[in-house]
Amino acid sequence: MCRPLFGPMLRPRNASEMLMTTRLRFSGITKTFPGVKALTDVSFEVAPGEIHALLGENGAGKSTLLRILSGVAKPTSGEFYVDGELAAFKTPESSRLAGIAMIHQELQQVPNLTVAQNMFLGHQIKSAGGMLVNRREQERRAAEALAMIDPTIDPSAPIKTLKVAQRQIVEIARALLDKAKIIAMDEPTSSLTPAEFESLAAIVEKLASLGVSIIYVSHKMDEVFRICHRGTVMRDGVVVGTVDLRETAEADVIAMMVGRELQHEEHNSHVKEDVRVDVRDLSSRVTHVRDVSFTVRRGEVLGIAGLVGSGRTELLRLLAGVDPIATGAVHVDGRELKLTNPRSAISAGIGLLPEERKREGIISGRSVSVNMALPSFGKFSKSGLVRHGTVKTRAEELLKRVNLRPFQIDRAIRLFSGGNQQKAIIARWLAAGSEILLFDEPTRGIDVGAKSEIYHLIENLAAEGKSIIVVSSELPEVIRLSDRVMVMRNGKIAATLERHELSEQAIVAHAVGDAALKKKSVQQEHNHV
Amino acid sequence: MSDIASSAPARSANFLSSFSLRDAGTLIGLIVIMAVFAMLVPGFLSERNLINILQQSSINACIALGMTLVIISGGIDLSVGPTAAIAAVLSATLLVAGYPVPVAIMAGLGIGMLCGLVNGVLVAYVGLQPFIVTLGTLSTYRALALIYTGGNPVLGIPATFRSLFNGSVAGIPNSVIIVAIVAVIAWIVLKKTPVGEYLLAVGGNEEASYVAGVPIALTKITAYVISGLLAALASLILIGRLGAAEPILGNLWELDAIAAAAIGGASLMGGKGSIIGTILGAIILGAMRNGLTLMNVQAFYQLLATGLIILVAMMIDRVTRGRG
Repeated sequence: MCRPLFGPMLRPRNASEMLMTTRLRFSGITKTFPGVKALTDVSFEVAPGEIHALLGENGAGKSTLLRILSGVAKPTSGEFYVDGELAAFKTPESSRLAGIAMIHQELQQVPNLTVAQNMFLGHQIKSAGGMLVNRREQERRAAEALAMIDPTIDPSAPIKTLKVAQRQIVEIARALLDKAKIIAMDEPTSSLTPAEFESLAAIVEKLASLGVSIIYVSHKMDEVFRICHRGTVMRDGVVVGTVDLRETAEADVIAMMVGRELQHEEHNSHVKEDVRVDVRDLSSRVTHVRDVSFTVRRGEVLGIAGLVGSGRTELLRLLAGVDPIATGAVHVDGRELKLTNPRSAISAGIGLLPEERKREGIISGRSVSVNMALPSFGKFSKSGLVRHGTVKTRAEELLKRVNLRPFQIDRAIRLFSGGNQQKAIIARWLAAGSEILLFDEPTRGIDVGAKSEIYHLIENLAAEGKSIIVVSSELPEVIRLSDRVMVMRNGKIAATLERHELSEQAIVAHAVGDAALKKKSVQQEHNHV
Repeated sequence: MSDIASSAPARSANFLSSFSLRDAGTLIGLIVIMAVFAMLVPGFLSERNLINILQQSSINACIALGMTLVIISGGIDLSVGPTAAIAAVLSATLLVAGYPVPVAIMAGLGIGMLCGLVNGVLVAYVGLQPFIVTLGTLSTYRALALIYTGGNPVLGIPATFRSLFNGSVAGIPNSVIIVAIVAVIAWIVLKKTPVGEYLLAVGGNEEASYVAGVPIALTKITAYVISGLLAALASLILIGRLGAAEPILGNLWELDAIAAAAIGGASLMGGKGSIIGTILGAIILGAMRNGLTLMNVQAFYQLLATGLIILVAMMIDRVTRGRG
């Protein structure tokens, strides 16, 4: 009944374990799908207690490898070993029993159930001869596991009342309950604030010190270098190499990932004289955005920084007509807009590129060209009928311009990478004739190579005279792109920094606000870099 | 690498190219069923019987076309049967009272659209779930039809009206011609108009469609209004055939219509559906019933066969999906 929470293998490393230095060994894993070779002869090892980064662009084969590790897919040839034992998983359940846990990017939890219910989902503790679920025992055990990593989480709280970061911690605690020896984390920090990342990092490091091996998949290089010991870089389904991250430069790793050197790029300014967007005392009816005033000129890129929850996304939603305005006004080219819904914003030349592309950006089952033309079908129609010839011509022209790859405009958009989906949304607003583009986290979930393409596109749009607002949590990104940066805090503008004043430290200081914290965050920022 | 597409033949949205792999599957299903009955039932493939099958399928096909558009938009319309009943008793009453045929037809179609409008507004503006809304109006509309007539059938529909819907041109029943025209219009709406694109977009991802400026409410309401209109049209075909309008007509029509749409490839999750598929689906159901009736199979077993064909069709759909 009262099994110890951590099995023997989770003890801190000792002499007997030092003999066994390989927790996980991939040996010649190859996976082919009809017509595609997703993985070719993948071999590498992960030691006990190691935090091992799995690096590569989208499509490099990381996900396929994780699917094999978690028993969802089987390798076409090759095998892998857990603690020296051949792992032949037929189902995800057998992988779980072998001590492997997956923390997915999109958490697989049931919102209405409690923390404890989610942690025991599918493996409930039974009583009364298996007839009833012993909730109290579940909550006790859940609390025990949570106490190891975050005692503030209440096991009886419904999971939907938790923040994403806390829900992630619940997933990790669940892995602990399963006595996981290997925890694979897929993009765990994609929606975490810097502070939340710090606590996650502390948890991950603690688990590693207890002997758990972590496979850490992330596009965020600074995080990877901060917490990972070694990294295996994949490209096109092949392992390019495994490197010691403490002895390797970030630029070298990126070069391994993309297969070429990415040159460090300078910011180019294209700001014109005339003000295009003039926002005055704007407040939201449904969020905490209050009394926001700013202007954007033609050809200007205005960055918006701030912590998650500071109102950045909410401000963009106001400007795009998605959320209702309570008070204040938005002027475009001197004319006051009546923003009642996205249509009214679009006809005023405003286009939103949402952060959650899958949920708010794309119609996944429809083709790229349809997704591009969606706001403009009225424009593309004559006497009630869509002129598909015109749509096709325009789609070919614009999607070529944004460099859609592969260039198959009739293919369903869900089959494209995140970067190419983003390109299609950019083309969407070019087709609609939008002059004001609102980018919310323009490169979230987009790999390094496509990232610089998106940056160039944004720059080219500015050079054409379009006005651009970029919301981003990645400070290097904001600084790279913006002519000016507005820092938001608690729904208001905390500061506006001119190009020459821009630094990560300055932005963080204003985003956090409090003077005492200001020093600390600058300090943290130093550690970070 | 990026020049692959330019070497591919240019594709435009014409009738043939819109005949998808999924539609081909439905067609094969129809051919198989026809072949089986051709072996079992002498005279099944005779011209007369084939026309019979089309005529017997026409009412369900008409309803199912509207249903397909609603399903594509991510909704469902359970109230088509009672909507048809309201339209039928109203038109019949006006006809019997001596109003001109066009007036009676317009009134019937108009009340059908009004029923659809109520559904659409409740779904799009009040924000209720389509299943619940149309479940509610299913009872409400039926009650209205019964109250209006006192539960009695309206008899004595004039021959001029009947010949319009029950006659034939060059051996082809008018009902088949009417539904064929409706199908072509529905196809044009789905494939060639902005509304069609909006229906697919809203059903595929409502939130993304909203952000992209698609008029969500208008799109949904349009689908329900069309569904109401076609339910009314189907009822006019029926009372033309029967010569009387019963307030209880159209019982369970919604299920046949949903079945035809689903067999034809419509996804109840929304965002997916085919006009050609729905027509083929309606003919599959019609051919089944016709064949089994000719074989003197009891009605109970006909119901069983209908149920099984739906389940088998969906299983085949599930197994083959994603290979296109």
